[in-house]
Amino acid sequence: MSLHALMFGWEYPPRHLGGLGVACQGLVRGLVNRDVKVTLVLPFAADGSEDQIDTLCPQEHHIRNIRVASLLLPYDSPELYLQRIGSIPRETAQIYGEDLGHAVHVFTETSIDVTKHLQPDIVHAHDWMTYEAGVRSARHHGKPLVTHIHATELDRTHFHPNEWIYGRERWAFEQADHVIAVSHYTKNILVQHYGISPDKISVVHNGSNDVLHTRPAQQQESASHGKKHPMVLFLGRLAIQKGPLHFLEMASMVHRHNPDVQFVVAGDGHMLPSLVQQTIKLGLQDCIVFAGKVSHTEARKLFAQASCFVMPSLSEPFGLVALEAIANGAPVILSKQSGASEVIGHAFKVDFWDTEKMADCVLTILREAPLASQLTAEAPRVLQRLTWENQADKIVSIYENLLHT
Amino acid sequence: MPPRICLYFQVHQPYRLRDLRITEIGKGKTMNYFDHDKNRAVFRKVAEKCYLPANRLMLSLLKQYPDFAIAYSLSGVFLDQCEEYGQDVLESFQLLAKTGKVEFLAETYYHSLSSIQDTEEFCEQTTLHIRRIQDLFGVTPTVFRNTELIYSNELAQTVRLMGFKGILAEGTDHLLQGRSANLPYIPPQFRLPHGKEMLIARHRPFEKRSQNIAVLLKNYRLSDDVAFRFSDKSWVGFPLKAETFTDWLLGGGGHSVNLFMDYETFGEHQWEDTGIFEFLRTLPNIWQERGMKCATPSQVIEQWYEKYRAEVGLCPTGGTPLRERMVHGRKTAGLPSMPIYDAHSVISWADTERDLSAWQGNQIQMSALRAVHDLGPLVKATGNADLIRTWRKLQTSDHFYYMCTKYWNDGDVHKYFSPYDSPYEAYRRYSHALCDLKERLKQFSPRSHKAVRHKL
Repeated sequence: MSLHALMFGWEYPPRHLGGLGVACQGLVRGLVNRDVKVTLVLPFAADGSEDQIDTLCPQEHHIRNIRVASLLLPYDSPELYLQRIGSIPRETAQIYGEDLGHAVHVFTETSIDVTKHLQPDIVHAHDWMTYEAGVRSARHHGKPLVTHIHATELDRTHFHPNEWIYGRERWAFEQADHVIAVSHYTKNILVQHYGISPDKISVVHNGSNDVLHTRPAQQQESASHGKKHPMVLFLGRLAIQKGPLHFLEMASMVHRHNPDVQFVVAGDGHMLPSLVQQTIKLGLQDCIVFAGKVSHTEARKLFAQASCFVMPSLSEPFGLVALEAIANGAPVILSKQSGASEVIGHAFKVDFWDTEKMADCVLTILREAPLASQLTAEAPRVLQRLTWENQADKIVSIYENLLHT
Repeated sequence: MPPRICLYFQVHQPYRLRDLRITEIGKGKTMNYFDHDKNRAVFRKVAEKCYLPANRLMLSLLKQYPDFAIAYSLSGVFLDQCEEYGQDVLESFQLLAKTGKVEFLAETYYHSLSSIQDTEEFCEQTTLHIRRIQDLFGVTPTVFRNTELIYSNELAQTVRLMGFKGILAEGTDHLLQGRSANLPYIPPQFRLPHGKEMLIARHRPFEKRSQNIAVLLKNYRLSDDVAFRFSDKSWVGFPLKAETFTDWLLGGGGHSVNLFMDYETFGEHQWEDTGIFEFLRTLPNIWQERGMKCATPSQVIEQWYEKYRAEVGLCPTGGTPLRERMVHGRKTAGLPSMPIYDAHSVISWADTERDLSAWQGNQIQMSALRAVHDLGPLVKATGNADLIRTWRKLQTSDHFYYMCTKYWNDGDVHKYFSPYDSPYEAYRRYSHALCDLKERLKQFSPRSHKAVRHKL
């Protein structure tokens, strides 16, 4: 009989804002392809999401989405939360804490209730919002608990955590029979800052949904070289974690050296107004475009046009966007403080704070055609290895180890 | 008679590049491309762990055992670094030279890939190296060993025309085809293009070409048993005892067992606590007991010719080139003829591929190599010694090796030793250095200014 995993998730495409939804989908599909029966519990009634899922991946009729009413918005809640507590006094922030706590409580109670009758072999929970549900469900069923960490509170807040969320994360890691981290970078945070034993944590890098999209030859040529205006791309939520300010700082240095370079900042988020302000302050208004939130197709176009893609995240547990960038033929410069930099070999890697070096790497890629061409050609090879099926295999063996010990 | 033991050690240190920035290009007063702190630190570390203790041991072994002899190839950039960072190391090599039992081989001064890029530059760098060895050690090398044992038929002929009597090469299985690496070989005889022969004649380090050139082949299994596998606990031969190793040396027979390896094997690649020094200390004693002798590369070749002459019965001092004698020899039934080592394409001692892919296996390596050699005529035209020297330091093969991405996909990033984060970081620094060099070229006479602009 195949394994049955009861999963608690928070978002699922097309209703997703961050990597959590994408990773969750990839993982579920990978597991289903590996004959694991998955029951996925989500907090929201995502309109049309099911149709979308079905059309995207027919095997997903194996997945039973059980929806629980929740006051919480998907993934962006911690960030909105952060934005709110960032702008209000500490005492008042408690109110939001209670508010969010209540919402998580509702999700926990109801999701436990609707899954009581199931007979899973293993319980698997994604990120802190679902951890209490996971812990209680595992207790109820008397089965091992896996907590999967896609982003810690420390990543989102640049190490200025909300103590309540941090506490719940740590509690869940302690309760879990095993923890899956999306990178060694994240594993290290759990060991260093959460006091979790390294023996209990396995690293399973995210997989890639992207197959290699070969650039049309003509486009490839014009992308980085011989073009009048080379373009350097940022794509991500405009939140402190993603390092958009560092991108602007880098842009300003590149601009000083080569005024022809154009910059595109794609994505939205609460930092947009301050970023626009900073752009003007740096005198970059004529060479930076704020593209807003872009669709998947638009993103692919941007990657294909970009002379290089920069991911300057301050703390990035993985960074799926980097895989999308290389799949679409963009040479990449990655923050060393990221999980993606562990798996992408053919890239420049710099500390997020070293914007001077970041600028230097950008300018080198723009100047050296053979370099850009080699990065473009070689980087995507990793995608062949980093499939969700391969990553699901690793998770299945973690399940099996837990069940047989 | 048991085979001779021919020990040759490679000693080399590159000038690693510092974290150059694009904003510095064309601005600095000097060509300050190299990471002096790092280079000094590496040199001193290796000096303490390898050069100094290994040289002390070698000196005592040379004094104690009459039949012990060794050969070194000290790259010119290594000798330059000795002057900068380690006069003590240089002196310890000079002490070894004074024993008269150490042979110094010739190589390209800058440990470069010029043999496959630029024949004139290759001759010049080899000449520079010979002069330096003469100055420092009072001897003249007669056997050549190329950077990373890069070798081909064409190179062998080039080196013969330069006046060398011997050259070292990797004994690769596909070229040996079951034959022993323990015999000297000769390259196939053919003429190089006339222009190239003339070029070599104009730039060769010696007055005369050599009539014959012998190829000594590295016995890679036995060499690598020491250099790579000595401390490998998963290896069936572990732990390797000097007695066992000596049995293996004798097992293959032949004229000489050629053990070629990096000198850093002693104390750096194989740490002292692996027992590598003890192993080395024990060997000459066992060899003496078993009547085995060491021979340096030129001695191996000399003794081979003597043996050959004795067998063929020709006067060793005759004026006829050996090649022709050999032809005569073949006519005489039962006489041995010199076996031919036919390296039609280029081989080396690097990686499992034993080819050039470690230095010119990807786009950035090819681009960097082409770029540095394209600058040659312009750099030389300036006549500026400082500029020429810096340009040559940028030819050191290690720069290109650090850009290798052969195994970069497997996450097996440690397979390649590099002082930099990645092959791309290596290329970033290197391309900045070259860009700065180009800027400097523009500052020479207005006439060359124009020419350079046009050419670049």
